[in-house]
Amino acid sequence: MNGYTGNMIHVDLSEGKVTIEPIPPKLQKEYIGGRGFGIRLLTDLVDPKTDPLSEENILVYATGPLTGTGIPLGSRYEVSTISPLTGLGMSANSGGVFGWKMKKAGFDAIVIKGRSEKPVYLFLDNGKAELRDASHLWGKTTGETTDAIIDETGDKSVRVSCIGPAGEKLALIACIINEKTRAAGRGGVGAVMGSKNLKAIAARGDLKITFADEEKLNEIKKRIKGKIEEDGIEKALHDYGTAVLINIINENYVLPTKNFQSSYFENAEKVSGETMAATILKKPKGCYACIVQCGRVCEFDGESGEGPEYEPDWAFGPDCGIDDLKAVAKANNICNEYGLDAISAPTTIACLMEMTEKGYIDHPIRFGDAEGMLKLVKQIATREGIGDELAEGSFRFATKYGHPELSMSSKKQELPAYDPRGIQGYGLATATSVRGGDHVYGYMISPEILGAPEKLDPYEIKGKPQWVKTFQDLTASIDASGMCLFTSFALDAGDYADLLTATTGMQIDGAELLKIGERIWNLQKLYNIKRGFGRKDDTLPERILNEPLTEGAPAGQVSRINEMLDEYYSLRGWDSEGTPTPEKLKELSL
Amino acid sequence: MNEQHGKLDVKVKSFATLREVMDPQIHMDLPKGATVRSLLDELTGRYEGLDEMLFAEPGTLRNLINILKNGRNIHFLAGLDTPVEDGDLIAIFPPVAGG
Repeated sequence: MNGYTGNMIHVDLSEGKVTIEPIPPKLQKEYIGGRGFGIRLLTDLVDPKTDPLSEENILVYATGPLTGTGIPLGSRYEVSTISPLTGLGMSANSGGVFGWKMKKAGFDAIVIKGRSEKPVYLFLDNGKAELRDASHLWGKTTGETTDAIIDETGDKSVRVSCIGPAGEKLALIACIINEKTRAAGRGGVGAVMGSKNLKAIAARGDLKITFADEEKLNEIKKRIKGKIEEDGIEKALHDYGTAVLINIINENYVLPTKNFQSSYFENAEKVSGETMAATILKKPKGCYACIVQCGRVCEFDGESGEGPEYEPDWAFGPDCGIDDLKAVAKANNICNEYGLDAISAPTTIACLMEMTEKGYIDHPIRFGDAEGMLKLVKQIATREGIGDELAEGSFRFATKYGHPELSMSSKKQELPAYDPRGIQGYGLATATSVRGGDHVYGYMISPEILGAPEKLDPYEIKGKPQWVKTFQDLTASIDASGMCLFTSFALDAGDYADLLTATTGMQIDGAELLKIGERIWNLQKLYNIKRGFGRKDDTLPERILNEPLTEGAPAGQVSRINEMLDEYYSLRGWDSEGTPTPEKLKELSL
Repeated sequence: MNEQHGKLDVKVKSFATLREVMDPQIHMDLPKGATVRSLLDELTGRYEGLDEMLFAEPGTLRNLINILKNGRNIHFLAGLDTPVEDGDLIAIFPPVAGG
C-alpha cells in the first residue's frame, strides 16, 4: 500500500529464523503504524503474564506511513515491548535517520522474539533480512558498534540502531541508540534487546516508497511547512535547542530541583539553551527531513557529542543541583555511548543524593557534586559498585533502602522535567500515562506553560481531564504516523489526517485520527490491566501529592490529580477502577 | 528600591530570540501606577525590533508570547493591564518549545 513498504519481519532468535510477511491491511487501517502496530502486535503475540526479560517477550520496531517520506519532521520509529522497569506494555520513540533507512530497506515493522545463544545483529538489506554474528561487538559502546558494522558492510549509507554495555548488562534503565546519539530512551527497552542477545539492527536500501496522491501531498507539505515556520517556535528550537525550556520552566517555578525538593534553580541560566548556544554548541543538527534542527552538536575539552536535550540537561543539572554545563554534556555523552536512559539515570542519581544527604545511605555523593555524578553514570552503565543497584532505577533502589517515597516516579518510571504541583493538567497526564512517569504521551506543558494551541491556566483543574484525554489520543496517533511530536505545536488533527490520506489513500479525517489514537490508548490500557495495573497505580509520589511547593507563584500548591481522576475515567468511558467499559470497547472495535 | 522617590524598581529579563534585540536583564525605574503595558511601551521605544517580535498588532501580544510577573503568566492576571509593583520580576519569553 502507498506510504508503506507492506512488509514486516518476524525474527525468532531462539530458532535463528527470519521470515518476511505482508502486513495485514486491517492493521494499517485500525492502527496506522508505529506505536499502534507495536501495541497491537504485543497484545496479539505476548501473554500478559510474561516476564519482560524472558524469551517470550517481544521487541517490535515499527515505522509509520509518514516516516521517511520527505514530509517535514517525518522521521520517527517506535520500539514497543513489555518494559522491565515498569512492567507495562509500552513504547519508546526515536528520530534520526534509522526509521527512514528501515523503510528504504523494505520494512515497516520488525517483530523479534526468543533469545539467541550468542550475540547477533539483524541486517536489513533491500528487501532481505539476515542474522549475523555480533560476538565481536559485545561489550562495545554504541559508537564503536555503529562504526564497526558500517566498516564491515563497507557501506557508509548503512544506519544502525543498537544497545551499549548498559543494555547488555540488563540495566533496567538501558535504552536503544541509533546513529550514536538518538535514543528510544525510556522503559528499559535496551535491556529487553540485551536479554535477547541482539546487539543491533542495521539497515540499508534504496527501495522506493509510493504515495497515493503526490500532487496533493506536495500541497499539504507546503502548508504544514508554513505552519511550522510561522509561529516562531521553529526558530527558537533551531537556535537554542530543546534546552531553551530550562529558563521558562524555571521562571514559572516548576523546574524540579534536587530531586523535586524545590522547584526553582538559582543557577538555571548556566545550563540553559541560551548558554549552550553561546559556549559549547558547534552547530544545530536535524533528523531526517527536519526543517527545525533542534539537535545540538557540542564540542568542548576535546570531546564531541550530541545534546544535551532539555530533559537530560535538567536531570543531570538542576535535579542533581549541578550548574556545570560541560559536566552535564559529558554525562549525556556517557549515556549515549553506553546506552542509558538520560532521564532515568540522572534522576536515580538525584534520588541517591537526597538519600545520602538525609543519612539513609552511606555514600560520599551530594547534590552539586559533578565529578561524583560522572563517576556514578559510568558505574550504572557498567553495573559496577553501587551502580549495580542504581541500574534498577530509583524506585527499586529507594525501596531497597527503605525509602520508596524518595523515588520521584510513577509506576516505577522516573518523572521528567516538570513539577506537577504547579501544572495540574500535566500531573494528571503523567499519572494516567499508560507507560508510567512520562511527558511525551500527552504533552500538557504545551497549553499550560507554552501557550500552544491556547493558554490554559496551569493552576486550574477545571476542564483539564478533557484536554488530557485529547492530547493523549492525539499523541498516540502522531506516534503511529511516524511524525515528530514537535509538529503538534503547530499542526492540528486535521493536518495529520490530510497527510495520512494523501500518503496512504486511506480516507482519514481529524475525528477518525483521534479515534485511532483512542483505540491505541485503550488497547495499551487493557493490556496493562491484564498485567495487574489499576486505579491504585494512576498516582504520583507522596511528595507531589502532599508537600506543597514553597517558592514563587505556585507556592502552596500540591498536585490535585485525585480531584480529576473520576472525571477523566468517565470521559474515557472507563469505570471507577479505570477499566474500559464494554460499550467503549465496542465503540473502538476492540 | 526607589519607592520613596515615587518610582518602582522593576527587574526585567528576556530570553532566547528576544536577546537578539534586547538585553538579557535590566532594571527599570517606572512611575507608580505602571502596568505591563506601559513597561512594554518603554521597552519597545528603547529596543528596535522588539515591538514587532512582541505584538501582532498594536495592543495585542502575539499568541505564543509569554510574560510572567513573579512567575505568574499575566494572561491569568489582568493581561497587559496587570499592575507592576516595586521589586517585581517581569520575565518575557518569545515562542519556545521543546520537551
